[in-house]
Amino acid sequence: MTNAIPEVKLAEEHVGKWGMVINQDICTGCQACVAACAMENNITFVGEEDSGYGRSMHWIRIERFWEGEYPEVKMTPNQPMLCQQCGSAPCEPVCPAFATVHSTAESLNLQVYNRCVGTRYCANNCPYQVRSFNWRDYERPEPLPNQFNPDVTVRRRGVMEKCTFCIQRIHKAQDEAKSEGREVMDGEFTTACAQACPATAITFGRTDDPQSLVSQLAHKGHGVKHLEELGTLPSVTYFKGG
Amino acid sequence: MTEQFSRRDFLKLAGLGAATTAILTGCGPASRYVKREPYQQMPEYNSVGQSTYYATTCRECAAGCGLVVRTYQGRALKTEGNANHPLNLGKTCARGQATLHGLYNPDRVQAPSTGDWDSAIQTVADALKNYKPGEVAFLMGMAPDHLFDLVSDLANATGMNGPVRYGALGMFEARATLSKAAENLFGQAGLPWFDLGGAQVVFSFGANFLETWLSPLPYTRGFVGLREGETKLRGTFVQFEARMSATGAKADHWVPVRPGTEGLVALAIGKLASELRGGAMPRVFSSVNPAEVAESAGVELEALHHLAEMFVNFNVLAIPGGAALGQSNGLEIAEAVLALNALSDNFGKPGGVYLSALAPNQTETSRPASAEEMAAFVEKMKSGAIKALFVHGVNPVFELPAALGFKDALANVELFSFATFPDETAAEAKHVFPDHHGLESWGYQRVATGVSLPVLSGAQPVVSPFYDTRATADVLIAAAKLAGGKFAEALPFADEVEFIQSKVGALMSEASGSFSAADAATFMAYFQQYGGWFKNADALIAPDGSGVLNGNVKAAEPEFAGEGEFFFVPFVSPTLAEAGANKPWLQELPDPTTTVMWNTWVEINPETAHELGLQNDDMVRIVSEAGEVEAYVYLYPAIRPDTIAMPFGQGHTAYGRYAEKRGANPADLFGVHFNEAGDLAFGGMKVKVEKVRAAQSGVGLARLESRIGVYGEALGEEH
Repeated sequence: MTNAIPEVKLAEEHVGKWGMVINQDICTGCQACVAACAMENNITFVGEEDSGYGRSMHWIRIERFWEGEYPEVKMTPNQPMLCQQCGSAPCEPVCPAFATVHSTAESLNLQVYNRCVGTRYCANNCPYQVRSFNWRDYERPEPLPNQFNPDVTVRRRGVMEKCTFCIQRIHKAQDEAKSEGREVMDGEFTTACAQACPATAITFGRTDDPQSLVSQLAHKGHGVKHLEELGTLPSVTYFKGG
Repeated sequence: MTEQFSRRDFLKLAGLGAATTAILTGCGPASRYVKREPYQQMPEYNSVGQSTYYATTCRECAAGCGLVVRTYQGRALKTEGNANHPLNLGKTCARGQATLHGLYNPDRVQAPSTGDWDSAIQTVADALKNYKPGEVAFLMGMAPDHLFDLVSDLANATGMNGPVRYGALGMFEARATLSKAAENLFGQAGLPWFDLGGAQVVFSFGANFLETWLSPLPYTRGFVGLREGETKLRGTFVQFEARMSATGAKADHWVPVRPGTEGLVALAIGKLASELRGGAMPRVFSSVNPAEVAESAGVELEALHHLAEMFVNFNVLAIPGGAALGQSNGLEIAEAVLALNALSDNFGKPGGVYLSALAPNQTETSRPASAEEMAAFVEKMKSGAIKALFVHGVNPVFELPAALGFKDALANVELFSFATFPDETAAEAKHVFPDHHGLESWGYQRVATGVSLPVLSGAQPVVSPFYDTRATADVLIAAAKLAGGKFAEALPFADEVEFIQSKVGALMSEASGSFSAADAATFMAYFQQYGGWFKNADALIAPDGSGVLNGNVKAAEPEFAGEGEFFFVPFVSPTLAEAGANKPWLQELPDPTTTVMWNTWVEINPETAHELGLQNDDMVRIVSEAGEVEAYVYLYPAIRPDTIAMPFGQGHTAYGRYAEKRGANPADLFGVHFNEAGDLAFGGMKVKVEKVRAAQSGVGLARLESRIGVYGEALGEEH
């Protein structure tokens, strides 16, 4: 029996691929993207104690590190870290329940909540540490649930979750374009984080469309993809600048 | 809008006018609010799965950013920036995003303390009638402006005290100092506006403009312009401050000057730059000795030389702000830093210093009360000159430093609180008559700074009120009617909306506005639909800086109150600001520099901590001349070894379950000392650090970096 090894394509070669460019030089670390993501995606807050145990549910976080010592100390450029929607995602093959699967149509890394049995293998295998696990049913007292976005599933205990590139917004834009008999236009919609970002440090769009803003930015300068050497084919390009 | 003009009529109109997704307005009294219905029962204008969008104004701070709120069957789901709003151009900060956690907060004041609104209004009317006009005072927040105008009108017509405005953000921004410095240098008071986007080099002396300062969204846009301007090289940013702020963390060079020496450093740089350029030494810089300044500020003279060289080749924009202005010599610091701009000759020019444009229905610049003016206000409460106090939009028991004695003075007054949330002031109040949340409210807000156009930002309810709350404007109008006489004459309006129409309608005759309309109802409808009205003409004021170089700026050494060995830098939490602590998702946002969530910390240089035998998560007591607080230690690598810092925003004793009994309030440490402009010298003190107990396992600060490691080396480590 010969199992053909699937051909590994460059991230840009995938058709229908959504991607993101993040400019760390202008990211101010203000956390607007983190708040916007939480509001859009019904992400629960976990409280002080669970936050202290590293169980906070941020789908996007701003990383920063220190370099040097006083007085020559510097903070590294703020680094928004979110699911990189890998073209060859380490989280996918380890899921026994096929809850984290690849969408070939959109080249997105999907998380199917009602398949997830909570083994947490995917989170352990994610080199970016961007998956969050619902360790409890966290309390959101009335009337807070009035704010829930009806387009996004509310998750409960024992389920893994992560950034979806706001797939509900992608689908809504695609549905609208389809009903009008056209393609989705570049900039017609964007993810919650990119929409909120006061510094316009986050750009989202189609990376397979050379005309899109995100493609043009991605090929503009010295963009890097994090942990690219692992062969994960991330969809997010970072610019450090400076 | 009148009853003849129904919501259905308006929808037809909106369909014609809407640029993108139809942004709706609330309408006449009959249909003022969108009703919240069960999901199986739709309001008339909704269809299944379709959202409705309303433009309004954010009330999380006083900047006046435009929002478009997505609603769905009467529920508010998501706030986004209003792309047509000149101030924020479609963007929001974290607090704007989390405003829904205020709207749907489980701890809101749900009904008037009298039980029903009729008796509440009667109580207010009795107070208006029974006290002498001079015995009644209003203390209001920096937003909303329409209520401020209504109370001003009422006060002018009846002889009551004019409303006093205050906010902790205004105190930390030292707005009185900025205004006074402009007056002294340019002969014109006003709120300075700094055009970062057009500058080549920015020297910021403590200004935290990427966090909460004045109007953070336009300043963030300016910062992007500095870095990314298409027509120029990437601009350079230098931050002078003792403790690296989240703003300073974005700087190319961080210069940790000793607190209070910022003005001296600015003058020394000015002198060195003038020497490099040759010619006569400007009088303003002549008296300073750079070598002595370098010694006193704790920086290398060579570094000052290097910074001065930038003036030879580039246009440098110098900005005073933050804790630098909260020093005993804060006014001098502001003047010295502003004077540095004269070397670049950038007053009223792109990349330079302006005075902010006045808003459409504004004739002169205004600012909130300084701490000194608030001290005088408290004195009037204590002496019995003020007998009835109405408080709206501000939480003075928390936001004023405890040493001013506001809470004790409350014993002498009948206190009316119009708080939306059960805050510390409401807890002290005899009467609590809750106002709606900002997203349930009508109103307008003048944009005080951040945009070159005069902007009046419009607010309308995006959902119907969730609880039995009532607009304070409506309460006052109804009470004035009951009180009769001059009160009723002062407010001859049916309700709040009619009052707003009377004010906004006055703009109809203005030329070159963002829209115009033939009749008042249509104008008002557009005002709501677009989320405000603005003039299309640049109205920034070019200050007269001709006398600056030959002026005289004093540069005294700062004075510090207290016995301790450490300088103390209090700063506003970039994520919580002064009123965010009751919103759970704001609590769970990591602080940008420390990544701490849900608590208060004390930043100490690791070397200093080592000498004191302190480690992360040890509990320490900070003692000042005025008080003491306890908080966890955070070893902060980017702070001077002789300085400690603490964020302001936590330490509530009331304000709902997410805020209460959490962290500490550094304002409890503030003594009563003012700078020359009357702002609080909150940075002008020295404090002691005492260890209370060592870090215990499982107790301490919740930090995001516990997930990713302080220096990145602990990636994957379980906490």
